[in-house]
This record gives sequence, structure tokens and C-alpha cells, in this order.
Amino acid sequence: MTFINYVAREINCKIVYYGPGLGGKTTNLKYVYDITNPENKGKLISLATETERTLFFDFLPLDLGQIRGFSTRFHLYTVPGQVFYDASRKLILKGADGIVFVADSQEERLDANLESVSNLHQNLKEQGFDLARMPYVLQLNKRDLPNAMPADQLKKLLLVKGEPVFEAVATKGTGVLDTLKAIARQVLIELRKSA
Amino acid sequence: MGFSQIALGESDYHRINSVLRAMQQELDSELVLLIHRSGQQIATDGPAQNLDLTSLSSLAAASLAATDGLAQIVGEKEFSVLFHQGRRRSIHISSLDGQFCLVLLFGERVSPGLVRWKVKKASGGLTQLLQEHQGRAATATDAKSSLAKDSACLLFTDDDIEKLFGK
Repeated sequence: MTFINYVAREINCKIVYYGPGLGGKTTNLKYVYDITNPENKGKLISLATETERTLFFDFLPLDLGQIRGFSTRFHLYTVPGQVFYDASRKLILKGADGIVFVADSQEERLDANLESVSNLHQNLKEQGFDLARMPYVLQLNKRDLPNAMPADQLKKLLLVKGEPVFEAVATKGTGVLDTLKAIARQVLIELRKSA
Repeated sequence: MGFSQIALGESDYHRINSVLRAMQQELDSELVLLIHRSGQQIATDGPAQNLDLTSLSSLAAASLAATDGLAQIVGEKEFSVLFHQGRRRSIHISSLDGQFCLVLLFGERVSPGLVRWKVKKASGGLTQLLQEHQGRAATATDAKSSLAKDSACLLFTDDDIEKLFGK
């Protein structure tokens, strides 16, 4: 749900990073946090277990700058990827303006990726949303690992609607910002359509 | 449905703020914060605005959402109020109209029971105001309406968007 405050001249949008457990959603946010100037970011909140697995969500507010005199603020969230945290995923998806699917490129995680895409469809549908009509970007993460599947093969299996795809190594920051820019761009274009 | 938004124009912004201000003064609270259930901060009033309101909004909405999940598991429609009592400060979070939450921060001098009673009393006016705003937004197709005029500012070009990303 985009919130536009015409008095304060602010646009606030919510972006959710979705995907299977240990796929690199939190790593994406940590990288964005690390490289962003202090004046353009808020606190990175991680509600995680003792072993740093996401329990509820991570949250990072980002100020991307001004567009026609409006400050553009993006609230980045991750969901917990582990299968049994589905109730939490549904809560975090509420009001999302755009979704980044962070896929784990490793061959043995293919089923987990497919299950997570299916879960995303289902959870959006329950809230009356259709992924085909939402800003959506696919990120193929962990491209540096020796057991990574060929990108073309993964795309064939995971593409939902011809969305932009980015190959990434989130631990090194590769592809992280390109992914973020692509989803932010789509959200702003969608917002323009509603004007 | 693919995209939803709340657009707050000048008159609604001031009306909502004046209700929050009255509530803040009556309850002598440190902070009154109106947020959307998605975690977005809508409006605020009170002396404690130096706190990290963005994080507070996100966490308060998540807490209330998690509590809703708990309610459903035990067969309740919702638990409409959440209360966190600290040694010096307490937080009262209540659901408004299913779409919004009201967060109040208050010190040890104010009794939780009084807060609960007064919030309940004051919430009706705020809920009505939000419903009126939502109703107007849903029908703001007339180009002469203030919301339609405001939204013309959002007709940014592809260049505007690219400049944002430094290209």
C-alpha cells in the first residue's frame, strides 16, 4: 500500500523480499544497509532467532531521494523463508507494493524455490492480489557457488510473467542494487499509472 | 487487485492531526501515532517525536498483525488492543477500522485503565474521519477534486525516475 502525503510531499512504498530459507534475503538487506549513507537509511531491524535465522522479518527504511519534489521512501521487508513460518509470511505480505523473489541457485534448492514461488502465489491470492499484476523482480542468488544451476534453466522454471531477472552474489553485493532499482522503478511506474 | 494506495491531501491531513492533537492533550500522552496496518506511518502528535517513528510504526503493525493471528487460532475475530507495560513508559496499540492502528505512548503517571477507556471513546471520531477519507478517495475521479489535482504531481516522466537512480 503506497502512502502519499501531499502535505509533507512524501511517497512511502513497501517492498517485500520473498524466497526459500537461507536464500539470501536478509543478506540483500544487510548489503543495502552497509553501503547506504547514514542520512538515507533508518535502523535495520532483524527479528531473528539465536542462530540468525529470520523469525518474523527484517526491516530497512530507505530514502531514495526526490522525484518532482517528493521524497521517495522505500520500506524493505524480508519474510522468514522456512516453510513452517507461513503465518508470518502472510502478515508481512500485507500491503506490499512490490515483491523481489530471491531464488537460491543451488541445484538441491530447486524444489524449495518452486515451493516458495507457489506459496507466494497462494498467499497473495488469499489477500486478493494477483502476482501477474504486481511489480515483481526475480533474483537468482548464489551464482558463485559451484553447484549453481545454469541461469537459463532456472529462469525457465521460475519465471512468472517475464519479469526482470538479475544474477546475484548477495554476500559480495553483486546484483543487489540492480535488483532494488528494478523493483523500485516498477513500483514508481505503477504509482504513475494510478495518478 | 494489483496496487493500492492511501493519498492524504491537505484538509484531511489537518483534520486527522487535530484529532490526534486533542487525543494527545486529553490523555497527556507522550506520543499519539496513527499507522496503516501495513506498517506505514500516517500521522503523529506529541512531544516524543524524536523517537524512531518509522521503526516503531513497522513493529507496532507487526505486533498487532501477529496478535490477530493468535486470535484466529483460538477462534476470536481479533484482539483489538495490545498493551505493553514498562517501568517508565507503556505502549497501547489498538486496531481502528481493521485497516489502521493507533499507538499511544504514555508515562507512569497515566493509568492504563484510563488510557484504554479514553482511547475507546476517542477512536470513534477518528475511525469516522478515516472512513470518510477512504470514501472520498474511492470516488475522487472528478478532475476538479482536490485529490485528483494533487495526484497530477505524480505524473513523473521516465527521465524523472531514471534521475532518481543516478543515471
